[in-house]
Amino acid sequence: MGAIDGILTGFEVAFSWQGIMFVLLGVFVGTFIGMLPGLGPISAIAIMIPITYGMDPSLALVMMAGVYYGAVFGGSTSSILLNAPGISGTVASSFDGYPMAQQGKAGKALAIAAISSFAGGTISVILLMIFAPMLASVAVSFGPPAYFALMLLGLTAISSLSEGSTIKALISAVVGFMIATIGIDPQTGTARFTFDSANLLDGIDFLVIALGLFAIAEVCYLVMNRHKSMGGSGKDIGSLKITKDDAKEMSGPIGRHSILGFILGILPGAGATIASFISYITEKRMSKNPEEFGKGSIKGLAAPETSNNAATSGAFVPLLSLGIPGSGTTAVMLGAFLVLGLQPGPMLMGDRPEVFWGIIASMYIGNVFLLILNLPLIPYIARILTIPRPMLISLVLMFSLIGVYAISFSVFDLYLLVAFGVLGYLMRMFAFPAPPFILAFILGGMMEQSFRQSMTISNGQLSIFFESNIALSLIALSVLSFAFPIVKNLRGKKKA
Amino acid sequence: MKKILALTMFAMLVLFLAACGGDDSSEEGNTDSESEGNGSEEASGDSGDSNGAWTPSESIEIVAPAGAGGGWDTTARMAAQTMTEEGIIEQDMGVVNKEGAGGAIGWAYMAEKAGSNHNLFVSSSPILLVPLNGQSEYGHEDFTPIANVIAGYGAFAVAKDAKWDNLNELFEDMKEDPQSVTVVGTSSPGSMDHIQFVRFAKAAGVDITKIKYVSAPDAGGVTQVLNGSADVYSTGVSEIAEQVRADKLRVLAVTSEERLDGEVLSTFPTAKEQGIDETFVNWRGFFGPNDMDPAAVKFYEKKFKELSDSEAFADIRANYGWNEMYMGSEEYKEFLDKEKQNLKEILDELGLTK
Amino acid sequence: MLKGVNRKIGLILFLLSAGYLYMSFQLPTYPYIPVDADAVPKALGWVLLVLSIALFFTKDNDTEEQKAKRHIPKKDVMALLGVLGLLIIYIFLFEIVGFILMTTLFVFFCSWFLGYKKHWVNAIVSIVFPVFLYSIFVFLLQINLPQGILPI
Repeated sequence: MGAIDGILTGFEVAFSWQGIMFVLLGVFVGTFIGMLPGLGPISAIAIMIPITYGMDPSLALVMMAGVYYGAVFGGSTSSILLNAPGISGTVASSFDGYPMAQQGKAGKALAIAAISSFAGGTISVILLMIFAPMLASVAVSFGPPAYFALMLLGLTAISSLSEGSTIKALISAVVGFMIATIGIDPQTGTARFTFDSANLLDGIDFLVIALGLFAIAEVCYLVMNRHKSMGGSGKDIGSLKITKDDAKEMSGPIGRHSILGFILGILPGAGATIASFISYITEKRMSKNPEEFGKGSIKGLAAPETSNNAATSGAFVPLLSLGIPGSGTTAVMLGAFLVLGLQPGPMLMGDRPEVFWGIIASMYIGNVFLLILNLPLIPYIARILTIPRPMLISLVLMFSLIGVYAISFSVFDLYLLVAFGVLGYLMRMFAFPAPPFILAFILGGMMEQSFRQSMTISNGQLSIFFESNIALSLIALSVLSFAFPIVKNLRGKKKA
Repeated sequence: MKKILALTMFAMLVLFLAACGGDDSSEEGNTDSESEGNGSEEASGDSGDSNGAWTPSESIEIVAPAGAGGGWDTTARMAAQTMTEEGIIEQDMGVVNKEGAGGAIGWAYMAEKAGSNHNLFVSSSPILLVPLNGQSEYGHEDFTPIANVIAGYGAFAVAKDAKWDNLNELFEDMKEDPQSVTVVGTSSPGSMDHIQFVRFAKAAGVDITKIKYVSAPDAGGVTQVLNGSADVYSTGVSEIAEQVRADKLRVLAVTSEERLDGEVLSTFPTAKEQGIDETFVNWRGFFGPNDMDPAAVKFYEKKFKELSDSEAFADIRANYGWNEMYMGSEEYKEFLDKEKQNLKEILDELGLTK
Repeated sequence: MLKGVNRKIGLILFLLSAGYLYMSFQLPTYPYIPVDADAVPKALGWVLLVLSIALFFTKDNDTEEQKAKRHIPKKDVMALLGVLGLLIIYIFLFEIVGFILMTTLFVFFCSWFLGYKKHWVNAIVSIVFPVFLYSIFVFLLQINLPQGILPI
């Protein structure tokens, strides 16, 4: 059966009335779970597995895929409104989304997020449909040296994520990296910096840090300003109005990051979180006025929101075409395939085209549904901000605590959350930027591991980093990207 | 002033509630009242009927000491679901994930449940290996083995254009220059993927202290073998079966005693038929906490036997590529003791025991 | 000598990195790998040590805005500490007393403490919100939250 036939079968599945119904159900559950604190796509899919037992496999998977990208779609809501990311892929969305909401433009911010998510999702599905069979080889082309170089490239962006003192930004990053070294080291099995506590053996969860540094630290400021109300009047908050200029501003990032996010999503291990950060940084670097970022820039919100959704589609490439799960979420999806009696792997496309193409085709409908579901709700959701401050504070705290508890079911992590909240508050007070901390935390761990994997493979020869073309070009890019701001800085000083 | 009033009232109410809570849970002999709490009455009802047959009196909690979607989680959920659907156990069975540290967090949680008859958990080889590595305070000796249910087998896979045609050729090369071969697996050194390879290498006479092993989470292992970064992928059979069918990977050996069933699986040679006398089973089964009532152990043992024999569970095994491997409590315990001794010898030789 | 914020923070970070380095040197060696578990932590420790010294000798050049951020009125300090106290009590008793009761109490008293005056609205919200979330998690999603001393 040719690819065209396959695609047609896929559309038949996706556009059958059951197909449409299950997509709708999936994206509905997904958005909802994404909005709930702590519950991300992993738990959402795991919850769905027993429900789908015995269902028609293509329909069941169409629904689960819907849950997955629906959760990424919905996860941005609490990032934007409360600075409390619902899932880890939407942390970067709070950098500009939250300031925008603070300025009384919550409705607009949510609308931008929804539209970017929709565009990122849809464009990447088109890419997925055209290139999935070909891109399979890209997914496995990255060896440990290439991953190391990719993470290095990400880390060079620290300078561009910071405002003010470079030393302070570097300190933030180093401490973030240090936190990432806590736990059992996979390469040796050595427990590092765990203080003999079993609670720390697995390291600290990303969401504990993100919710602590962002949500809880923000709550401290809300407490101090508890008698003021949010900026803007109640009516404006819910307004979705996007002007022509806004649309123009969004179009650039949407185009770029649909592709960038998609490619990063394909790489096993990278995923939506890393994609959203790298997109945010890239967009800031490319921008003519980077000083707007972090203060409610439209581009700064559109970029990560496009990217995380595009990465989600990208993650389906290795899963569907190779049977390789590149992340925790796709690993659970793989489990779902098995429950349904399917073997995901390189043969899936030929053996079960209705499943392979059905999932892909259903994503078009899913993204449209998500947009239709989300846009009308925005004015109501945005009204959360009109809740009186004291009540809002209590609810945000609650929200963060449940979120963390739902990840690990550990009270210890709740204390950690509070501790990181205090740290985040102190960091703000003394002007240490939080984004480098978070960035170094997520990239640092992977960077260290891929560095050491490479060294083991090469028996300790550093030359391994210059043997693969991918690694070599990424390292060259990192050097350039590190040198560029310094040169720019020097030039700027001369002018002044 | 009002503020202070608010704080004081909160503190008093909470203290009052804590006092109520404290009473209940202390009577039951555990301070962690996650699923208990409705109290003392049932705790005494536990050992139940006058004729000695024990039956559960409240909902049963099964802990998967890992995250959602993994092997332990799937086993726990599928077992619970089948037992409920087939009416094997009438009480509700809920699965709780206690993820982290290769299982150590879940085991620490279960250790606190000593004496309970309504808490079970699922585990496999790591419950032997992780304590040996010094990463968990608790091992299988600290719990009550109830029944083993399923088994999986390991496989050593290489890229399809690799230079080795069988396990012996690989091991010959490794005897000459162990540094030339990189083995990759998902878990860290000293745990399953590493040790299963080491066992076979040792049986073939390779210097096991010189084996290069890389740990790659998130399915990095198969990627690294496919792109040539690493040479041998040490993993479970079901993880690579599809890659072999698509002609991307080749299997040098499986760790089972005899060839496995299945169209693709039966083409995998065992190590035994290649003259290397060694096997490795990744068994998976259920445990209760320490000091579980022997009558309760009997009850669960029988129920897991029913589960294992049921057709519904046979279907599930087939879907996941699991094999049937039932062992009752006594047999299981002996098996575990022996297995742990074997593993300890290897880890000692590697200097990984703590 | 310890005038200036940067000096104080520099000193704290110096001690932190020294402690971290000390622990890095205590890590056991693993013989079969070219780059051991302690390599990266040691490097990080040294980098932070250098950065903390650099910070120590950097002049404070905070903007007025930053300085204002550091000045917290006494009333607000009390409010922050109050919320922190409530949080710690909440976490401490979370698994013992159970999700619904603790959350209800927390939301109600935290809102009151921060100056929310409509007690009836407050009471309704603080009961409905936890019960709603609990039902979703436990009954719909089958994720167990601590039930504590309540029967369900």
